[in-house]
Amino acid sequence: MGFWDTITDLVDAATPWSTAEAEHPDSHKSPQGDAPLGGNAPAAPAKEISDETTAETDKEEKAEDETAEVKKNEEPAEEEEAEEEPEEEEEEEEEEQDPKDKFEDDCKNSKQCAPAKHHYDECVERVTSQESEGGAKEDCVEEFFHLAHCATQCAAPKLWSTLK
Amino acid sequence: MFARSGLRSTQRVFAGARNGAINVTKRAASTSSGAEASPVRLNIAAAASTAVAIGSIAWYYHLYGPTAHAMTPAEEGLHATKYPWVHQQWFKTFDHQALRRGFQVYREVCAACHSLQRVPYRAFVGTILTVDEAKAMAEENEYDTEPNDQGEIEKRPGKLSDYLPAPYKNDEAARFANNGALPPDLSLMVKARHGGCDYIFSLLTGYPDEPPAGAQVGAGLNFNPYFPGTGIAMARVLYDDLVDYEDGTRASTSQMAKDVTEFLNWAAEPEMDDRKRTGLKVLVVTSILFAATVWVKRYKWAYLKSRKIAYAPPKDANVQHRQ
Ligand code: HEC
Repeated sequence: MGFWDTITDLVDAATPWSTAEAEHPDSHKSPQGDAPLGGNAPAAPAKEISDETTAETDKEEKAEDETAEVKKNEEPAEEEEAEEEPEEEEEEEEEEQDPKDKFEDDCKNSKQCAPAKHHYDECVERVTSQESEGGAKEDCVEEFFHLAHCATQCAAPKLWSTLK
Repeated sequence: MFARSGLRSTQRVFAGARNGAINVTKRAASTSSGAEASPVRLNIAAAASTAVAIGSIAWYYHLYGPTAHAMTPAEEGLHATKYPWVHQQWFKTFDHQALRRGFQVYREVCAACHSLQRVPYRAFVGTILTVDEAKAMAEENEYDTEPNDQGEIEKRPGKLSDYLPAPYKNDEAARFANNGALPPDLSLMVKARHGGCDYIFSLLTGYPDEPPAGAQVGAGLNFNPYFPGTGIAMARVLYDDLVDYEDGTRASTSQMAKDVTEFLNWAAEPEMDDRKRTGLKVLVVTSILFAATVWVKRYKWAYLKSRKIAYAPPKDANVQHRQ
């Protein structure tokens, strides 16, 4: 306890406002606290599979496991997953679309982005017909950019008011 | 160089013109009785000089007018949309619950490929984790000890002062595991890319279901409009409900991307909250000082402002009028 501590204590005692303390997050602790890095998470169905293998602490293997896990999620038709996951959960996932996709789809079809969408659709039509005739002479990247720019711009405020 | 020599040559031309003009006026003065310049010749001179002026402008635009774009829009990449990040406002801090979620996403997804080597475990204490959580997390990893008496380097569990471990032993191992592409360290990523948070959020959420018609996507690459060149070696990594948030937030793709981006912003700029608080303190102190100077000025000027200069005319009796 130095001289300065005394002063700060006195100031603390005299100030009318109180100090905010964050809530203790321990109540959420998961049973598997021992898996490296990823251990703090409550087990997701896909996670359980990898948690069994992460007992070996070899980091590279772990990295590969997680990569595999990421890849796995790309294909929802994974057998193991299908076995373990109850069916209702999958239905839920299909119902709840990512809000970003939803807002952007709405925006793409709105009047605001109609010109960009028109150009993009026309380009896609043109290029696909070129492809079927032999080779595409152009691509629709620029048209895609304009449409994506319009849609994200329009969706940004709506998205931020939805996300936490 | 060119510009300077060009300038010098024009100076010379001007000097010549000036001399010529002086000579002409001298000559004109000496031959004032000569014939006047005919109006036709004057008109021709005016028209010619105007033509030269217009021509020089045209020539300039021919040379420098059109901007040359060395890169196509696809090579530039789509410019990331600006999102209204709350933590980027002047008087707002990081949302530490979001940082906690973002760290979870980093640990469970990104850490498989990306290191975060500039962040020590101690940095998490009080900002994202409690001391005990951070200690427990550090102890899950092994680090080299100092050489012991026999010169052997042993392993010890991690401490708060240790830095986060990298997923690969070295860059070569990282490249080998990722088809030759190096997943960069994410510690300073938010500061290292044009667009910062907006770019990273857009990059993570911007993978379209399929590339636009006709687009060329190289072998082993994925189409992402925001990545310069549009072909990125990192495949889409975030999918809805990939992680299970401990606070019950729904883990949609965009939610995870937002959280991990804010977390990466914290990793690159952990001093931000303190910096803003210090900034506010500076504003408070300077405004107090400014108010004090205003009062001091009023005090110092008080006698000047309140003085009264009066002219008391001398009494008639004392004045001698001379008439
Ligand atoms: C499967 C391994 C893998 C995972 C998982 C992964 N990345 Fe990457 N990431 C890569 C690779 C490989 C590159 C290099 C891409 C390139 O240069 O083409 C990269 C590049 C990046 C870049 C740099 C892009 C640029 O502009 O240079 C960022 C930012 C990034 N990743 C963020 C993330 C985040 C955030 C996560 C977690 C949500 C993540 N990555 C997960 C492999 C991965």
